[in-house]
Amino acid sequence: MAVAAELPALDALGPAGAYHARERQTITDVAGNPLAELSLVPSLFVTRAMAALHKAATMPVDERLAALARAGDAHAMGSVDGVSPADHQFIVSRCSGMPISVVRSASEAIARSAAQAYLSVQHARPVGAVNHWRDPLTRTGRAVWTRRGDVFAVHAPGNHPGVHGLWLEALALGYRVAVRPSRRDPFTPHRLISALRTAGFGDDQVVLLPTGYDTADAILRGADLAMAYGGEDVMRKYATQTKMLPQGPGRSKILLTADVDWRDHLDVIVASITHEGGRACVNTTAVFVEGDTTPVAQALAERLAAIPSLPPQDEHAVLPVLPMADAHELERYLLAKAAGTVPWLGGDGVVDELGDGSAVLRPAVHELDRPDAEQAGIELSFPCVWVAPWTPEAGLEPLKETLVITAITHDTRLVDALVAEPTISNVYVGDHPTYWIEPGIPHDGYLADFLMRTKAVIRD
Amino acid sequence: MLQREKPVLDVAFDVHPDPDEFIRAAMEWHFSPTTGSPFWLERAKSLEFDPREHVRSFEDLTLFPNVTNELRDVRAQDLIPQGYGPHPEVVGVFESGGTTGAPKRVVMLRDWWDRMMAWQVAHLHAHGVPRDRNWLVLIPSGPHMAGELTRRQAAELGGLKFAIDMDPRWVKKLIAAGKADEANAYAEHLIDQAVFVLQTQDIGVLMSTPPLLERLARRDDLVELVRQKVQTIEWGGAHMDADSRHLYRTEVFPGLTLDGNYGSTMVLGGAAERLDLTDDDPCIFDPFSPYITFSVVDPDSGRKVAYGERGQVVMNHVSKAFLLPNNLERDVATRIRPLGGQVGDSVADVTPVQRFDDETVIEGVY
Repeated sequence: MAVAAELPALDALGPAGAYHARERQTITDVAGNPLAELSLVPSLFVTRAMAALHKAATMPVDERLAALARAGDAHAMGSVDGVSPADHQFIVSRCSGMPISVVRSASEAIARSAAQAYLSVQHARPVGAVNHWRDPLTRTGRAVWTRRGDVFAVHAPGNHPGVHGLWLEALALGYRVAVRPSRRDPFTPHRLISALRTAGFGDDQVVLLPTGYDTADAILRGADLAMAYGGEDVMRKYATQTKMLPQGPGRSKILLTADVDWRDHLDVIVASITHEGGRACVNTTAVFVEGDTTPVAQALAERLAAIPSLPPQDEHAVLPVLPMADAHELERYLLAKAAGTVPWLGGDGVVDELGDGSAVLRPAVHELDRPDAEQAGIELSFPCVWVAPWTPEAGLEPLKETLVITAITHDTRLVDALVAEPTISNVYVGDHPTYWIEPGIPHDGYLADFLMRTKAVIRD
Repeated sequence: MLQREKPVLDVAFDVHPDPDEFIRAAMEWHFSPTTGSPFWLERAKSLEFDPREHVRSFEDLTLFPNVTNELRDVRAQDLIPQGYGPHPEVVGVFESGGTTGAPKRVVMLRDWWDRMMAWQVAHLHAHGVPRDRNWLVLIPSGPHMAGELTRRQAAELGGLKFAIDMDPRWVKKLIAAGKADEANAYAEHLIDQAVFVLQTQDIGVLMSTPPLLERLARRDDLVELVRQKVQTIEWGGAHMDADSRHLYRTEVFPGLTLDGNYGSTMVLGGAAERLDLTDDDPCIFDPFSPYITFSVVDPDSGRKVAYGERGQVVMNHVSKAFLLPNNLERDVATRIRPLGGQVGDSVADVTPVQRFDDETVIEGVY
């Protein structure tokens, strides 16, 4: 306990300022060393915080956009609560096991999202709608783009710090926002919300509510609209709730048709698998090949095998790191699921222990013998790819339920079909990695599609 | 005729009998063919020890198997010690919540009821619960002990009890079936009814569970009524953490007294919140010893955990009216050093363990 008392405190950020709870959880790095004590707020605190968000007034749009930009700058380049960006990024890397270069890029991406949040959400506004009822066009009748509610809640994941760029759009649109952090990375949202407050957002505009599992739903219940990240279970739980936007598995894919030479695109394929530590929903889970799958699997295995095992804070780290027990559990799962496939890499295991209690998850490449093999849908949070055969006869079926598909093909009729398929969110044609994204480009539809509606207005 | 051959079992509520003498007298009473209950006399035949010979102290209660589940099927009359004669004075038959399957039943006899009530009323006085004020009670009624208990408490303190009917089994059923919306609607229905009583009656004491208190705290109109009228909030039936207690005392209901209760039907009563706890102390509960006693154990080894450590709660009820020893409850608690003169442990933070994540999720990136 004496050691724990000296740990930095990561307080909740409530509607009346920072809140240091008696109930706390020690946040550790991937080797099990304590990093901070995270305050866990009780359900009563959550319901009162959510009520305070509802009562708060929306900041004028100019002020919130300026504050967003300042906060993004401070998050990526300034000192927040006395912590420099380098120290913050080091801790996020040690805690989440994400390579530090990815953490740094994510900080920069968050700053870009903050600066361009308005521009980004404007892309989602229907062309027939204006932003304000005072717009002169409403005099002859017009759609006005308005919020569906006032309070937005986010159950944030800890897989990638970049996810916190998205909910900034809700702030830009005038929502008050409550974030429940993941214990795998409470540092990023804590820093970002502290920066937002310093930049001008009131304590009752954006809150950080770390809670135990049993209290987590109270945050969603207290919001008008909410977003939760998770697997199939989370998708099922919230599928029928119109106020929920579940963010499910990505299962991103690359399709290589016979009219292209895959060798020309190996860099994009490898990067799609390994970029972001292989931990993002936009990382490629399966590569479909029209033709012989074996040389593709072999080439990928060769390239991926050359990536070194390094601790996450190493500048050259590419692969993700986990506490040893978690890494072994993931490995057991992979080995069980991969039974019956042809292993090209990682068939004997993927865990490379670093000796300090943490372990690198090394890449895995498995070759499947059918387009509809179930493994092609198994998305794991490290560079793990399934190489499967594809034929025009197999058609769209194996390519469905996909966040991003990169189709390296000249077949425009196939592209027509991919773009038309409702269960595919994004279609990238040609030499573009599955992780490509920019402000103003929808990640899984525009978030504003969910947050906004149109309303008819006509006036004298 | 009530047999009065064991005076140590009949002492006043505030007299602490010698624990070993008390246990031996209780074993003699419950396992003597003339005074024991039909249930225990029959059950004793399959015990591998003779309680009258081998159970000499509280520690020896661990010799007993946990027979709690048998209370689901046993004929209620068979639980009454024959020593009470052919016409025992029964206050009521009370049932457990029914979280896991069929409910368990106990029989409340008058002499135990009066003794426990005397202890509870003394506790309420010590906590400054006002006299001659009415109570509004939002807790399980029906076959549950809590409803009858609060009726009597209000009367003892000179007030009227206003009740809101609550069926915890229905709520549990809704939640188990994933019908969160219906459970929510039911809870709101309870709170809606509280409005009428609070608006029209002179309520000085509010008794409820922490989840319902939290719901009440969400409604500005109800918070205002409680602030105007209520002096003491009695709570029980679920866990309240120190952070929430502090928020209630400082922000939601500033100046009000909060007083917690940790009870169980299976011990025919329970434990009361310790006086003079600081804001940072957890809610500590001291049982009505030696009749109701706790030990906090490691469920795997059965051994007591160290003070300050978490473990599972084993409950004993030993009185003239009833015997239920060595009942391993599902509650997890922190083991707390007892106050002087108490047998067994006190407990704090009785709750399921705080979890951050539901379970390890393997597939997917989140």
